[in-house]
Amino acid sequence: MKKCAALLMAICLMVTFAVAASADASVYYLNFKPEQDAQWQELAKVYTEQTGVPVTVVTAASGDYEKTLMSEIEKSDPPTLFQVNGPVGLANWVDYCYDLSGTALMEHLTSDSFALKGDDGTVKGIGYVIETYGIIANKTILEKAGYKAEDINSFAKLKEVADDLQARKDELGIKGAFTSAGMDGSSDWRFKTHLANMPIYYEYKADGIGFTDAIKGTYLDNYKQIWDLYITDSTCDPALLASKTGNDAVAEFVNGEAVFYQNGTWAWNDIKALGAENLTMIPIYIGVEGEENQGLCTGIENYWCVNNSADQEDIDATIAFMEWCITSDEGRKSMSQDMGFVVPFDTFTGEYASANPLVAIDTAMTAAGKEPVSWNFPSIPSEEWKNGVGSALTAYAAGTGDWDAVVSAFVDGWATEYALSH
Amino acid sequence: MMKTAKKTYHDGAVSGTKRVVDVLLSVLLALLSVAWMYPVLLILLNSLKLETAISTTSVFELPLGDKFVGLDNYIHGVTKMNFLSSFAYSAVITITSVLLILLCCSMCGWYITRVNSAISKAMYLLCVFSMVVPFQMVMFTLSKTADTLRLNTPFNICIVYLGFGAGLAVFMFTGFMKSVPVAIEEAAMIDGCNPVQIFFKVVFPILKPTMITTAILETMWVWNDYLLPTLVLDIKHYRTIPMAIQYFRGSYGRVEMGPMMACIMITVIPIIIMYLACQKYIIDGVIAGAVKG
Amino acid sequence: MEKAIKKYWPVFLLPTLAAFFIGFIFPFLWGIYLSFHKFTTVSKTAFVGLSNYAKVFADPTFVDAFWFTAAFTVVSTILINVIAFVLALALTRGVKGTNIYRTVFFLPNLIGGIVLGYIWQILLNGILTNLGLPLLALDARYGFWGLIILMCWQQIGYMMVIYISGLQNVPGDLLEAASIDGATSMQTLFKVKIPMVMPSVTICTFLTLTNSFKLFDQNLSLTGGEPAKASQMLALNIYDTVFDRAGAVWKGVGQAKAVVFFLLVVAIALIQLFFTRRKEVQQ
Repeated sequence: MKKCAALLMAICLMVTFAVAASADASVYYLNFKPEQDAQWQELAKVYTEQTGVPVTVVTAASGDYEKTLMSEIEKSDPPTLFQVNGPVGLANWVDYCYDLSGTALMEHLTSDSFALKGDDGTVKGIGYVIETYGIIANKTILEKAGYKAEDINSFAKLKEVADDLQARKDELGIKGAFTSAGMDGSSDWRFKTHLANMPIYYEYKADGIGFTDAIKGTYLDNYKQIWDLYITDSTCDPALLASKTGNDAVAEFVNGEAVFYQNGTWAWNDIKALGAENLTMIPIYIGVEGEENQGLCTGIENYWCVNNSADQEDIDATIAFMEWCITSDEGRKSMSQDMGFVVPFDTFTGEYASANPLVAIDTAMTAAGKEPVSWNFPSIPSEEWKNGVGSALTAYAAGTGDWDAVVSAFVDGWATEYALSH
Repeated sequence: MMKTAKKTYHDGAVSGTKRVVDVLLSVLLALLSVAWMYPVLLILLNSLKLETAISTTSVFELPLGDKFVGLDNYIHGVTKMNFLSSFAYSAVITITSVLLILLCCSMCGWYITRVNSAISKAMYLLCVFSMVVPFQMVMFTLSKTADTLRLNTPFNICIVYLGFGAGLAVFMFTGFMKSVPVAIEEAAMIDGCNPVQIFFKVVFPILKPTMITTAILETMWVWNDYLLPTLVLDIKHYRTIPMAIQYFRGSYGRVEMGPMMACIMITVIPIIIMYLACQKYIIDGVIAGAVKG
Repeated sequence: MEKAIKKYWPVFLLPTLAAFFIGFIFPFLWGIYLSFHKFTTVSKTAFVGLSNYAKVFADPTFVDAFWFTAAFTVVSTILINVIAFVLALALTRGVKGTNIYRTVFFLPNLIGGIVLGYIWQILLNGILTNLGLPLLALDARYGFWGLIILMCWQQIGYMMVIYISGLQNVPGDLLEAASIDGATSMQTLFKVKIPMVMPSVTICTFLTLTNSFKLFDQNLSLTGGEPAKASQMLALNIYDTVFDRAGAVWKGVGQAKAVVFFLLVVAIALIQLFFTRRKEVQQ
């Protein structure tokens, strides 16, 4: 009988610990950007072939990054490389960030301002992609209608053009001026985060600040103006926006059913079928005085952080992998050309400068003296705030809620969420 | 027996009206059945459509003409999401978990009924108690515990399922064992069998109907479970079917409805086939489970 | 013989007990412990007494989720059981094709919650759009009724099967006696059939009550709690609190919510048990 029991116990233990033996140093990257998932997987494979160090890339589903990171970081094999979106994101994860000062990454970083620092001055995160967004426009249709993108230099002008396009949509063979402002989880971040940056930017600028514990909402009427424009001069009934996905907007734009599409440089791969010569980008004008000189929105929302709770050898392997990404030919080619990133490291020059035409538009605009709009949404107090604003925008568009709810989600929500997270 | 009873209590005069009612009823039921199957049919039709032809407004249109893309969505969904491996993981998890639950819980159930001790009683009460506890109560700590013990692969997550699913199974087995007379087992003991032999040679065959019932109830649970594998499995390598379907909603701007519906169909079709094949067992299992519960 | 078996406890009892400890007992006790603590990682916890529980009841989303869940549970329990019973009556009349209908009605039960949610999201959004009404994610009322329809579709077949078996076990001579006494079919139904299938009613009510109250997958995939958490049920609310809210405060609060949720489920089970017992005494 004892033999039997011992055997059973042994089986139980074997099953339990069969996989417990851990491998040598390895890298586990929890990636935030689903658009580039395939390229990261490919790059990881190349690295493993060259060095023998296993690199696992997991991409969290859109809107699920925090959730995934939260449950993964607790595990016995936590991500060694993860991302935060800026100072606010860092505040939640600062205890997990390994000090990156003195690494080759810092050496090659083109400006210190692209690094996130802790209170003690150590480097907690390093930005690895500079992005730009605005309103991507289909030049061909615009010209067919008798307009030039360069002439659109204010909200009033934008509205005039959009209204006219909308009125003549049958003649022009389009379904609307703007692509559907989908509020599905795959697309709502374009409005609850990126578009929301505009009123935040102007308020910060007017007050001369970089973050706040209580937003006043000075420019919310402008936010309403642009949102109204998006949902009225659109390819679809505003009531349907809740279920419209990012794919829908891409399809409309690529099929030439809409002229304007608010998105950024990362969307290039989706829309390149239209051809670079047919595309341009215009700033998001919201009707603020002096906006003729406003440029596109440029900033960093993706910072690499190395998990300090990982084993030291995994940490070293991770840093080696990151350095390889920005110095090796394969890494540089993948990041600049395949992923289409503008990478803020001095190793990306010459043939490794970004090949993304949307980036070229931004460069030209900045060179022409337009003032880039900074990304202030990383100072948004929490994801919860974005969700609140997003829901209110959706309800307002559908007519089931009013604008006051947006204002309340924007202003009161900010104060509440700020208080909760501090 | 039931039919004869019916014939006798409905006399001739009533049967005329009964026939009318029955015809009406048949029509109603037939209509209702069609309506009942419609959601699945709708997904099937849409899964054959071109991606851009799927939207909330056009969802009821048939996949005709240039909107029809054949099996493109299926091929795309399966290759891109690695859906076949999800299918295999789900199958492995379900089979190992259910087998382990059946084996361990039948032994445990037999022990509890045959041995009248404090441990037996405590174990029984705990099992009943665990059936009431919602998963949310333990989700955070269970995922932590399972991770520490490395129970995070499709091959050993069955231990977690045994732990969390033991309650119902033990309850079913004890319920059945109570009605089985002890005499045969005693006879076997006199013949010189030890308890392990008695269990596998005598008790195990008797338990077969309850085994089937329990297997069905546990299979339905494990195969469709979403939250437990999401939290416990090592997501770096493994994704079950419900996790894969949920993941379709991810990715910036990349909710691909066509492939998603194709994968829903791939998930649903085997279920339908299995159900049609062992319908009798499944329905008997449900009834037996209800009587015990 | 009992003694002989007893000695073999490591074979018969230990594997289940060990797994039970890993998969249930330990996490359960640990969960209760953590609900009194503030923590981001479980290695660093700080005792905060009952303050997590105070936060639970001060959280409007939790209270809203409770009322949503309660309303959903009541409506779905009544609807599912009434419809399932009516269908069971129809299918025990000996109409042709009974088996096919039973097969069809039972089928949705085998499809998992996540998949069910997406199937109905596509269908219901399509219907709402074509009627010019707001979508599921826009109006919690549609979300509510969407969930009810979904639950009915999934559960009616299951409950119907149990009712059919209950009705088939009503002794034929009892029905005969009723018909000889001149009882109308309505009287037979209420005076004979329903009292005789009371055990089935108890089981089905219990199953629908707990299934509805603990609903998670369908809620996550059909509405995801939209708009603005207005269609969020308790289980989803807890999940969001634990995993979706950054910061040390929320983990403990989420765990406390889970304990409250657990107590509510136990309360429902006990009330149910109490009524069942009382009825059994009366019979």
